[in-house]
Amino acid sequence: MSSPLSGTASPVGGPASASPVWSGARSRWRRRTVLRRPQAWFAWGALALFVLVLAVGPLIVTTDPLAQDFAPLLPFGSPGHLLGTDDLGRDELARILAGGRPLLIVSVASALSAGLVGSGLGMVAGYCGGALGAAVMWTMDVLLAFPIVLVAILMVAVLGGGSGNAIVAIAVSQVPYFARLAKNLTVAERDRDYVRSARALGYRGTAIGLREILPNLSGQLMVQATSTLAVTAGLSSALSYLGLGQDAATPDWGYMVKAGQQFIFSYPWLCLLPGLLITLFAVACNLLGDDLRDAVSRTPGGGR
Amino acid sequence: MSAPTQAPPQAAAATEPGRVAAVWAFLVRTVRSPVPRRLLAVPVVAFVVMLLVFIVAHLLPGDPVTQMTATNSQITPEQVAQLRRELGLSAPLPVQFGDYLKGIFTGNMGTSLYSGRSVTSLLGAALPVTVELALAAWLIATLVGVVTGMIAAHYKDTWVDGLLRTSATVGFSLPWFVVALLGAIVFGVELNWLPILGRMPNSLNYQPTTGFVLIDAVVQNRYELIWPWFQHLVLPATTLAATTAGYLTRVTRSAFLDARTQPFVRTARMKGLTERAIAVKHVLRNSAVPILTMSGLQLGSLLGGAVITESVFSYPGVGSLLVQAAERRDYFLLQGTALTIGLLFTAVNAAVDLAVLAVDPRLRRD
Repeated sequence: MSSPLSGTASPVGGPASASPVWSGARSRWRRRTVLRRPQAWFAWGALALFVLVLAVGPLIVTTDPLAQDFAPLLPFGSPGHLLGTDDLGRDELARILAGGRPLLIVSVASALSAGLVGSGLGMVAGYCGGALGAAVMWTMDVLLAFPIVLVAILMVAVLGGGSGNAIVAIAVSQVPYFARLAKNLTVAERDRDYVRSARALGYRGTAIGLREILPNLSGQLMVQATSTLAVTAGLSSALSYLGLGQDAATPDWGYMVKAGQQFIFSYPWLCLLPGLLITLFAVACNLLGDDLRDAVSRTPGGGR
Repeated sequence: MSAPTQAPPQAAAATEPGRVAAVWAFLVRTVRSPVPRRLLAVPVVAFVVMLLVFIVAHLLPGDPVTQMTATNSQITPEQVAQLRRELGLSAPLPVQFGDYLKGIFTGNMGTSLYSGRSVTSLLGAALPVTVELALAAWLIATLVGVVTGMIAAHYKDTWVDGLLRTSATVGFSLPWFVVALLGAIVFGVELNWLPILGRMPNSLNYQPTTGFVLIDAVVQNRYELIWPWFQHLVLPATTLAATTAGYLTRVTRSAFLDARTQPFVRTARMKGLTERAIAVKHVLRNSAVPILTMSGLQLGSLLGGAVITESVFSYPGVGSLLVQAAERRDYFLLQGTALTIGLLFTAVNAAVDLAVLAVDPRLRRD
């Protein structure tokens, strides 16, 4: 998905070459891409590292993250426990490696499902309009009448804890944003010539939506999904921090922050390390979103 | 929608049909114009919020009676049934909804199952705390965000701009509880400058009158309350503000750059105005609308963030109550806190929309 987007960042697609009359535009364009590069590299690199370490890490460090060693609160670099142990004598390195998986899975799955459901609803509302469209958008407005944190907390309270329910709860809180974006974009495309001609050729509504309109929205929707990833990461870790996400036995960064917080005066790294990792993940997602937004807005017609 | 049907009868009785049509047209025009339409939406949204919170509370697994009687093994089924009747839980759902609405307006929202205190009194104590926190954070975020955004716009495409934009993105990505925690570790633990727990030391024996410390200090003539209150407020408010400040920096920067390229700026320059006058009178005023809208809408999201920040600092606001209630499945308390946050959010968003209409005359035209 990302390769066509970053491909358009090449000089050919830039507005600079499209209007050579605009003096200085080329150097401005170059300066902007050079400025953006380190951030984009950082974002891609950090995310790739996260996925790699969280996927492979627990296979290499085979210490059981739940095994208690009767040596609580060991410092960094202790023999056998590279990152020390927590208050129950469990290996911190193994817990860090295992505890990132729920965050990664929940945030990606909820951003993806919110994107699919929200874009679908928004496209239907935008393409069909009328009473159906009004009903869909009105439901979305109702969801937006609550702060997203409240929506997520209430959903978890109703559904109960666990990864699956956290995904549903967080996705529901993000659906309205996708629906609004997709609806506005679809309304703008609905009466363009290519859609009219597809209609004149007798294509069904679903075919027009999926094969004609969707490819024109995908760039903007991808940008939204990437930025949403930072939000869902924050929300999922916040839910487990509040004790509403995972059950207490599963290692999870958000909950590790919570558990480590009681030792904030004596062993601050117990909550600091998972907290910093959550932050790093969210920052990388946002920088990636910024980079994609730049790339999409440089695409001819993409920044409409 | 229902408003027009109330007025016409008297008008129709007194005059000819033409007058009725005129009154009708006037009412329709009033309802459709932006300000009354926004005002009329408030009760509708508030009702929907109440309805949704009621539905959510009824979807909660396990009913309150089962929880209340869980520890009591000697209770008879008759006693359980009676308790259920007393709490109004055996009535049909529409009747329960009516009771619930009546409770909201009479200030009787049930009793917390955990602490045994009335939900209204718990909320009464917690609400001013959250409002104080959210307002303080909002002021900090708006001030910091607008100033850094203006600086970034002024130094567009230089290293200053790059630095500010990157830090804004980082600030914007920081999860609320992580910033709160970092603040607590750096300023509360390592430097030991600020307290990190609660809102006021118990030793001061603070008895709320209004619940807002600044007002109470004046009313009760106890000015010694202000400094400890302020010290306790600094960390929660600034850490809550960090995310919003980062966001507002971005909004301000792009609003400024956008306003600077408008034709009216060129006109002002041609008229011979100084750059400073252009910046203050034309650019600032025109970029104020998106900035004001975004910053106001953030006030609502700060209410959500307060839920998390309060839990980190054991700050005794509505957010702490909500999280406790969700953890303990404290039925009536969860209902009350969710309702309070939802209604506050509705009111804030309506107020912001009206403020924007007041600032920008262009939006008042239909």
